[in-house]
Amino acid sequence: MTGPDQRAFEADVAKAAFRLGQAECRWRLVAVAWPFAFFGVAAKDGREYVLRLNCAGYPQMAPTGGPWDLKTNQILAFELWPRGQGGRVSAVFRTDWKNGTALYLPCDRESLVGHDNWRREMPSKIWRPVDGVVQYLELVHELLQSRDYAPPLRSAA
Amino acid sequence: MKSIDLFYQGEGIGEIGHIELDADATFAILKVRLVEKHGVAHDVLMFLEGEDEPIDEAILIGDRATAKGLKVHVHRCRHVEVTVTFNGETVERRFSPSATVARVKHWAAEDKFGMSDEEAGEHVLQIAGTHDRPAPGTHIGALTDGKVCGLAFDLVPDERVNGASGGAA
Repeated sequence: MTGPDQRAFEADVAKAAFRLGQAECRWRLVAVAWPFAFFGVAAKDGREYVLRLNCAGYPQMAPTGGPWDLKTNQILAFELWPRGQGGRVSAVFRTDWKNGTALYLPCDRESLVGHDNWRREMPSKIWRPVDGVVQYLELVHELLQSRDYAPPLRSAA
Repeated sequence: MKSIDLFYQGEGIGEIGHIELDADATFAILKVRLVEKHGVAHDVLMFLEGEDEPIDEAILIGDRATAKGLKVHVHRCRHVEVTVTFNGETVERRFSPSATVARVKHWAAEDKFGMSDEEAGEHVLQIAGTHDRPAPGTHIGALTDGKVCGLAFDLVPDERVNGASGGAA
């Protein structure tokens, strides 16, 4: 039996804002194994990174998650993570943060904990339930398309 | 008959909407559907994303659609008077309501304020007097009502997420 959070999530991924991102190949919904949702997000070099987001409590609670390896069903090996060139990608895709379980973003549930200053310093990046998972995906997609993005240390097998 | 995915934004519509229509439907039919669905005014103009002129409503949707569908804007304003302020300097220009926030930012940051592509990437448009930073794909007409055909932005740094390194488990 699906709960209200899952039903709210399903309604959001059926909305036009999410479908437009899919139509433009910015992201796609790969699978759902509630409370986890798996999304592919396109990088500017054509790679697709899969994010596993824990969406329990959606949308009142923000999702949390990071890069995931669907083949091994575990956190993506760090040498396969997108890298930055010392800029904003590096600041978010931090392999030294929570063992890779959460992106260092204000809209990530786990990363916001202990960072109340983010609410004041970057209110536009704080989770907005009304925008839902599209907000998280927009931020990640923008990073993967930015000048700071660099491919991972090695290619996936 | 092939159906076309139409994604639309506009005055009074709120979030991005979606509708499917047959390729041989005209833009006039789309307008009727949007009037029925959202109660938008009968005298709205229809624009394709990024185009400066309203579209002829007799044109068939299939004639303008791409494989990804079509992005449309509906608004009573023919133009939106946009101002962007950065470092105390304000620039202004008219845009179609279907211009995206990304296009306006490119014009302001690179063409008017002389930023490099890299510098522009470190800045975003924020609606003046708010904390709202619309997504790059937002049509500027969606941010105004049909009474005021104008919009004021500030060009502000897109703060990097910084914090203590070696985060706790």
